[in-house]
Amino acid sequence: MDRYIEQAASEIPQLIGIFVTAMPDSLLFSSWVRDGTEWSPEDVAAYFGDLIRANRQGLKALGSWSSEMQVTIESAESLVVLRELSSDFVCGCVFERSAPLGMVRLNLKRLLERVGQALPKVQAEDRPRGTRIMEFLDRYAPDPHAVTLRVSLRAGISIDDLKSPGALSVDQVRRLEETACKILGVHQLSL
Amino acid sequence: MAIEDLRGLFAEQSLTFLAGIPYVYHCHHYNLFHDQTIDDALGEVEGARVRTIAAHNAFREFLSAVFAQAGATTPAERISLASEVFAWMGQGKLSLSVTPGGGAARSPSLHYGYAWREKYGSRVKRTEPADAVAAGFAAAATELAFDLPLDSISVIEHRCVAAREAECEFALTPSTGHAAKPAIDEATVRRYVAPPVRGVDEDRIVQISNGLLEFMRGVQGDERGLVAAFNVFVAAHLPGYYNETVYETMHRVERTAVDSVPAIEALMREAGQVCVFSTFGNVLLSPEWEGLVGPPTGVPTDVMSFCTAIARGLGFGHWLISAYEPGKRLVLRCTSTYEVPFYRSRYGVAKKPRSYFVQGAALAMMVLAESVKWTERPQLTNNYYVELFRGKPRYRVEQTKCMMRGEALSEYVVDAL
Repeated sequence: MDRYIEQAASEIPQLIGIFVTAMPDSLLFSSWVRDGTEWSPEDVAAYFGDLIRANRQGLKALGSWSSEMQVTIESAESLVVLRELSSDFVCGCVFERSAPLGMVRLNLKRLLERVGQALPKVQAEDRPRGTRIMEFLDRYAPDPHAVTLRVSLRAGISIDDLKSPGALSVDQVRRLEETACKILGVHQLSL
Repeated sequence: MAIEDLRGLFAEQSLTFLAGIPYVYHCHHYNLFHDQTIDDALGEVEGARVRTIAAHNAFREFLSAVFAQAGATTPAERISLASEVFAWMGQGKLSLSVTPGGGAARSPSLHYGYAWREKYGSRVKRTEPADAVAAGFAAAATELAFDLPLDSISVIEHRCVAAREAECEFALTPSTGHAAKPAIDEATVRRYVAPPVRGVDEDRIVQISNGLLEFMRGVQGDERGLVAAFNVFVAAHLPGYYNETVYETMHRVERTAVDSVPAIEALMREAGQVCVFSTFGNVLLSPEWEGLVGPPTGVPTDVMSFCTAIARGLGFGHWLISAYEPGKRLVLRCTSTYEVPFYRSRYGVAKKPRSYFVQGAALAMMVLAESVKWTERPQLTNNYYVELFRGKPRYRVEQTKCMMRGEALSEYVVDAL
């Protein structure tokens, strides 16, 4: 997969990086970044996946969601376009800020077609909610170094049990989720 | 009387006093982590209650001594002096509008709320107020201004900068008073120290810590009542607050949720790590430190001596290096800490080692001495903290002696794993 992405990317000079995120867990599936770029592909892919999920839920709340949705972010340094390739994969492309929008759209269409063709057909695994909550906390909790201890103390779940979050009981997962919401200051987790 | 003139020093034990009441310096990273741990253990409502009571008690002791030493007798004098001292400490600029029946207080810049918004505001939405310390201070100041008994004023913070309000606001209302416990003052502290012992590199540590103590004499709140120094917000603080919150919370968890004891003990130790990384580390990288000691050398034995000197300079007590083998072992000892007098006079002799803060600090000193490339002047960011302290542990710490347990001194052994 990386080879296909690399080939596709080499034809677009203003492309800085591509990140393919496997959903629903927002895990990095494949990536390419231009030489000299010091990004953490795992982190970027996870944030892009979460962003698409939040966007999907927001649009659904507005009654205007469609599977063709695309998120475009214009920052000072770059132009980011996120697109759902299928229900299992999200692709995020980062272009130089100076890239003309028309060219970006044209290149993006070709790029996404090539990436889409190279993606495998997968059966999404329903990973345990406990595992996904802990991974979510890892990404967003304000003190990630202390998050397991904080969850243990708040939720009354032993540190040993939290080492295997996939094996938590239903009640433990409920308490874990409540605690995660409290730590993050949100009403519900976007998982 | 100038506030600086209220300072006192028990030099051979590196303990500092204001109007005869112990005080120390801590940074906002430590303070926020400390309060967060209390709330993690007790929940937001009970956590805030415990923290407010502790602040109320600590500032009641402290302001009472300040007013006595300064000869402040009228309500106007006392309210004015209390606000001035609070801002001088770096706790924030708080306007009090009170009568014997209560009143209100407000501030756009309190150490806790302001620093919380700076550190976490872009990542977490907070709904609970963050300024239990200012709340307790406001209640204590109001009571003492009008010669009211302890707890005759209760206080609630109903707007907070940390919850994205423009200002923090407090409502003070009448309550039922009760008798105060005896103050932990300098005389009490002197009963719970051991004769000072010389450690490794003692002469240099004494010289540097004296220089730092002298430097800290000039540190005071700016026009916001905040102290922005060493790349952090620093505040002069009352150990009574830290001690009461830590030990009341620990004891409660031990009584009611024994399975959670390992987690809260680990978090209390982690608070010590956070302190050493954020405060000690930023002091070591500061221009002020370079002016005092010179540029960072990155030599582990230097870093260890410097950290020990910083602990003394911040008023943490007489910490000394008993033995240090770089990369292998540290034996840190204390003949005094700011925790022991409180614990012994309030609770008696502890059944197990209780100095969680120094346990975490000792481990962090080992990590800072061994793993940080000081000559490259790294940014001490949260990500760097995670990089250093998360993952497979490289050291373990054990407190082998504890003055709270009645032993002659406290000892902390850090071993490489």
